[in-house]
Amino acid sequence: MALLAPRGRARRPGEPHRLFWAALAAPGILWLAVLFIVPFYVILAIAGGYVNQIFGYPVAVYNPLHWSSANFTAAWHDMFGVGATVLPIAGRTLSYVAIASLISLVIAYPAAYFVARFAGRRKGLFLVLLIAPFWVSYMMRMLAWIGLLQTDGYVDKALTSVLGIQPINWLGGLSITVILGLVYGYIPYLILVLYAGLDRIDPALIEAGRDLGLGRIRTFVRVTLPLSRQPILTGMLITVLPMLGDYFTNQLLSGAAGTRMIGNVIDDQLNAPGQQGQGAVFSLLVLLVLVAPMIYYVVATNRTSRSAS
Amino acid sequence: MHPREGWRPDGTSPVARLFGESDQQPRPNAQADISRRGFLRRGAGAGLLLGAGATGASSLLAACSSASSGSAGPTTIPLPRPHNRVTWPIFADNKPIKSGLQPEQGATLEIYNWVSYINEAVIKNFCKKYNCNYHITTFQNIDEMLAKLRSGQVNFDIVFPTIDALGELVYGKMIRPINHSYVPNIHQAWSDFTDPFYDGQWQYTVPYTIYTTGMAWRKDHVPENPYAMANPWAMPWQAKYRDKVAILDDAREGISLGLMKNGIFNLNTTNPSRISAAGSQLVDLAHLTNVHFDNNDYTEVPGGQIWIHHAWSGDIASAASYMQKGVNVDQVGYWFPPDGNGPVGNDLITVLRGAQNPVLAHLFQNYFLDFHNAVENYSYTGYMQPITGITPQLLVQQKLLPPTLMSTTVLPSYFRRGVMELQLPVSANTLWEQAWLQAKNA
Repeated sequence: MALLAPRGRARRPGEPHRLFWAALAAPGILWLAVLFIVPFYVILAIAGGYVNQIFGYPVAVYNPLHWSSANFTAAWHDMFGVGATVLPIAGRTLSYVAIASLISLVIAYPAAYFVARFAGRRKGLFLVLLIAPFWVSYMMRMLAWIGLLQTDGYVDKALTSVLGIQPINWLGGLSITVILGLVYGYIPYLILVLYAGLDRIDPALIEAGRDLGLGRIRTFVRVTLPLSRQPILTGMLITVLPMLGDYFTNQLLSGAAGTRMIGNVIDDQLNAPGQQGQGAVFSLLVLLVLVAPMIYYVVATNRTSRSAS
Repeated sequence: MHPREGWRPDGTSPVARLFGESDQQPRPNAQADISRRGFLRRGAGAGLLLGAGATGASSLLAACSSASSGSAGPTTIPLPRPHNRVTWPIFADNKPIKSGLQPEQGATLEIYNWVSYINEAVIKNFCKKYNCNYHITTFQNIDEMLAKLRSGQVNFDIVFPTIDALGELVYGKMIRPINHSYVPNIHQAWSDFTDPFYDGQWQYTVPYTIYTTGMAWRKDHVPENPYAMANPWAMPWQAKYRDKVAILDDAREGISLGLMKNGIFNLNTTNPSRISAAGSQLVDLAHLTNVHFDNNDYTEVPGGQIWIHHAWSGDIASAASYMQKGVNVDQVGYWFPPDGNGPVGNDLITVLRGAQNPVLAHLFQNYFLDFHNAVENYSYTGYMQPITGITPQLLVQQKLLPPTLMSTTVLPSYFRRGVMELQLPVSANTLWEQAWLQAKNA
């Protein structure tokens, strides 16, 4: 037990033992193990498994020594082989997500900035309003848009009566509908994270900037913006990750061949008899793509906290 | 493969509202309709990919655990075809129940079915008659159903499978052979069903619903009439209807459409070049029209979002409930080849081997083969049963179907001439699935 106590510092009487703090982490670790690591291994086992040749269902192989590479090579062909179909979809997914995150940031940053800096006594009200979308399930919010965007829906009515333009077939498979759907779906997360970060910026630093002769804009660029780098990074991560794997925003608001994203490809494979193994490989691929920004995030956070201390 | 694939557990009746309200009223809440159905074909849940991966994987885990334990299974199973009747074996440890037993009293009948695929009013009458309760559990696709039955951790009495699942159900000893003495109403069904090719001597199954796959279109937007076209299966391939064309989101139905466009009506082909040619047709369709893949034929055509939709008969039978404001239901058409040479399918009612209430389960099969009960069931599901006397004229006369949609009913001649999508060898099925995914990713 004494080994666990930090060196050079004796435990004071009445202070909880370190094991106590470790025990607090146990539920979280258990959660992670049961709901992430085990399913992750099952995905691996299916990716390396085979298909039952009588009934056609996938069989997972749990011993890595017996894993087959068939699904991996098939996935490779889909990505890079002759007439590969998945690569363009992966590219489309990345561009949709990039555009959607940029739009989200442009909308979310001023909103969060306003609440954090200028909402004053009404901060609570604005926060509640920002959280309000979470009260309605993501799916319901998307379904509501189907009603609004459909032919003869309110959006078209408003556009034709106000701007006098031709009705647009929003649900006919337009990229813009999908991108705006992604923005709409995930922007509350971004605003909340940005708000939390911007709210923590010490007003004294901004005042100092002003006192030292910087104008409004230069204070923002030289002081506020650098200080909000970390919240922006966190917020982007929190929105980009689910956007990359999203499949039903697209399914609901378009469903067309021309807007498919990688999540749709995987969804289809997981539900096609005999193709689940390949779906598992693509799931792992997406995971790998997601891990890269994750690592960058961890490194960047460490650097910031080290330089801060 | 199936019209109810992906229906959500909170589903409500499409046809119950038929003629219940005037066409002039706004159509019923579109959100509820859509949430009930289709878009998340297999399971709601978080939008996170990892979430999806994990869900898929856990059901796969269930599947594989039985694969190792059930290693004594067959090495091949027969594939029923109209020209290759299969009479399934009856195993010594899975015999029919004895004749003359009394129904279980005060029992709870456990029913395992697709979503929104049975009229509970009929079940309630059944339970009143036999002094029982009932409980319905639903599945969203056949794989989910089979995985649950394979696990053995179920206590259902009745299950509603498709024909292509029979091999595994019989050889896996999941369903029990029928004692015919409890099911005299089989004679109310078309005579085909006392000796169907997929279950010689109806040892394991009685028929449930019957349906066709055809083409639905909006007459006010699409002047072409498929009944006058040389090849109506090619109807979706029209660039001028870009963004207004959809096909069913289903590998078997989709590739079959490509095959039929190419003039091939063997919808169980294992010929790789035919399968890939059908897939290429769909790729062309995607480029030509930015085609939608979905099973919302029942809302999108009446609602006007889609003008030409590859569709299931029973879905379009419900069109009146979903019409766009101010548009009459006779603007929706449904085409199925009048000579019957198109896809037909029928579902089954089977008794599970582990049934706690096998006598009630037999009586339930019998009850649903009764003419009056079948009509009442149709009034909810829109899917007709192959019972003698249920004709298009009757359904129209009873105001269960608009006269302009009489083509959504299935005639015995359709059933006899029609082509069925049946179980394929695993290797051929892989070709179908791959061609389909290629087309969807086009």
